[in-house]
Amino acid sequence: MPADQNAILAEIAEMLYAIRDHSGVEGEITMESTFQDDLGMESIDVVSLAGRLQARFGDTVNFAQFIAGLDVDAARHLRVGRLVEHIAASLDQADAGSGRVGSPA
Amino acid sequence: MSTVLANGLSVHVERLAPPEPASGAPSTAPTAVLIHGLALDTLASWYLTLAQPLAAAGLDVVMYDLRGHGHTERPAEGYALDDFVDDLAALLAALDITGPVVLLGNSFGGTIAFAYAARHPERVAAIVAVEAVPPIAVWRERMPRWLSNAVAYLPDDTLAGIDGRGGLGRRARSIREVITGTSLMRDVPASRISPDEHIAAIGCPVLCVYGGAATVGDLAPDVRRLLPQARIVIVPGQRHTVLVDEPDSVRDIVLPWLLQSGGLHRGHHQLACIDQ
Repeated sequence: MPADQNAILAEIAEMLYAIRDHSGVEGEITMESTFQDDLGMESIDVVSLAGRLQARFGDTVNFAQFIAGLDVDAARHLRVGRLVEHIAASLDQADAGSGRVGSPA
Repeated sequence: MSTVLANGLSVHVERLAPPEPASGAPSTAPTAVLIHGLALDTLASWYLTLAQPLAAAGLDVVMYDLRGHGHTERPAEGYALDDFVDDLAALLAALDITGPVVLLGNSFGGTIAFAYAARHPERVAAIVAVEAVPPIAVWRERMPRWLSNAVAYLPDDTLAGIDGRGGLGRRARSIREVITGTSLMRDVPASRISPDEHIAAIGCPVLCVYGGAATVGDLAPDVRRLLPQARIVIVPGQRHTVLVDEPDSVRDIVLPWLLQSGGLHRGHHQLACIDQ
């Protein structure tokens, strides 16, 4: 069963609200929200997000590697949707590799 | 987020481990400590650029926010270079890192690396300094100008800290707090410098990377005079922010150098100081 992107988005949104302490984030976080312009994320916040993703998904989702593929500007302008898609793809790949079935949420 | 108590401060630390050895043998990966610069900078500048490539190359990567910066505690006083060196020594002890380490420093972080090596030469296997010089007389002469340049570099609204979106304004507030709320601007230029002979006694391999359009590289001849073993690379056209502006270029300079000259041997996970 493919990973549920809506469930992942809900989890990521919770993490982002917590990191931003609900300040400066106007309205709902969607797949189209961008890190800097919509969420006011600074680079140090991206590091905080990496820690939360590691705690939640372990090594299945290699966020550090994902981020290393972007430059700092690209990390700031990242769409939440792109991160959700990366996580879903990583989880699907891990499932296919291990033969396990299930979605993360 | 992980915090460690070091030198009386709560210090924000991030680590990226190298891939597990296939044999299941205990890891003997050498440690790389990545040190960021002043005021505008946090460990994110390393985390989002070279940290992952260094871990993938087999290094146990440690990053931390300097006192007053990022998520590390911000005391009102104590921002001379020696305070930052004491913090680094205490952090390594707190993390139980006892062997020689590779120090990578950006801007003032590079100066911390040199100052640490001058005080603890046996603890440093190699130094990579990006847009940085050792704490010599000419460094202290230039520091006030560099600091005021850094403040001038901030966007106009920074010191006012007005930003309805919370983005730039939040970062601006943080920078303003460290500049106006601490003794940093006073302490850093008043730092004790290292006698030339202590810098010259740093025997480990040294790599210095400078942006061709920045002024720090003007001091490269002073670096070469004291550290003749240093490899000096200029990245044409780049500014003081070369690490975050051109991370791929910096990576392509740093990684091959670490493998060839910096004592990191692929597959062996052993460090040796080639000059000792």
